[in-house]
Amino acid sequence: MSNQPTNLPKIELPGIKSVLAVASGKGGVGKSTVSANLAMALSMQGAAVGLLDADIYGPSIPLMFGVNEIIDQANTPFPLVRHGIKLMSMGFLVPPEKAVIWRGPMIHRALTQFLTQIPWGELDYLVIDLPPGTGDAQLTLTQTVPLTAALVVTTPQEVSLIDARKGLQMFEEVRVPVLGILENMSFFTGDDGKRYEPFGSGGGKKLASQVKVPFLGQIPIDPNLAQSGDNGLPLTSSHPDSIAGKAFYELAIKIKGDLSSFQQPVKLPTLNL
Amino acid sequence: MSQADLHPVSMEKVGTSGLRIIWSDGLSHEISWNLLRAKCPCASCREEKETPPNPLRVLKASELIPLKPVRFSPVGHYAYKIDWSDGHATGIYSLKFLREICVT
Repeated sequence: MSNQPTNLPKIELPGIKSVLAVASGKGGVGKSTVSANLAMALSMQGAAVGLLDADIYGPSIPLMFGVNEIIDQANTPFPLVRHGIKLMSMGFLVPPEKAVIWRGPMIHRALTQFLTQIPWGELDYLVIDLPPGTGDAQLTLTQTVPLTAALVVTTPQEVSLIDARKGLQMFEEVRVPVLGILENMSFFTGDDGKRYEPFGSGGGKKLASQVKVPFLGQIPIDPNLAQSGDNGLPLTSSHPDSIAGKAFYELAIKIKGDLSSFQQPVKLPTLNL
Repeated sequence: MSQADLHPVSMEKVGTSGLRIIWSDGLSHEISWNLLRAKCPCASCREEKETPPNPLRVLKASELIPLKPVRFSPVGHYAYKIDWSDGHATGIYSLKFLREICVT
């Protein structure tokens, strides 16, 4: 029996100007950190921003925005607003110690509800933090949501690049434009002032060149990034003058510029039955 | 124009038996409903093709009427989903796959 959802409603998001998916292919490369800090940087530059945590199995956005307990919807409407950003996550509904053990159709339903039943209002950007891989969540979003573009996060080493390539191929197959590749954990600056590259170097740029998409830059390893994530305030806001904070700020400027000149995907013709 | 850029610019029914797709590179091709249904790419149809047909299978009532789509809708920017009159509705036909059907 197929477990594919038979109903694929087209989700209109008329109040949202751009929908950006942050993807990778591989887990643990920092998608949620990038999503949270990119959303923060866009907001700091005056945009109205929403952030949808599409990782139903392992939601990270609640912790990164200081939400440490489940939300009573009777008293607190969704989307939640923290640091000026509208948020929605499965982590607001399920305690962190509880596993969500769901098959694809349930994932599809949850994400569809997050998009259609949460009053996002007027937004300049809705950033969607995708889970790793190329599975149900990605299929639901690419099949039903008017995605403006995707950003692919990788780390420098080959084991991450292998999966990033798969993520890129997925977006090519489903014809979602790719903004580019962002390399996370690229380097750190030691106390001696030297640059260290523990995960190798050049991987993200090389991959971008191979698949002919823009290279969006590097994010350094910064202990403050992890700490700010755990403390509930993205580093772009808590440490704006850090190398990583400036990198996210510049990334947001670049993305705003790129999107303004993006060609929308062709609308497919319908068949009059 | 690269394969990734090819897309339908027009789709229209051809009588009661199929449709005509006109592509962005000018290719025009007619495909019958029966062929499209037979080539359904969903997982259950692929599995069915790998097992020998059961000659004693009792047909459903919906299979006794001429086959036609009851719904034909775009999926994202990359595919169409077809709901058939025989009740089958899980096939998602990517543009790449439709193009392959047209050119082979």
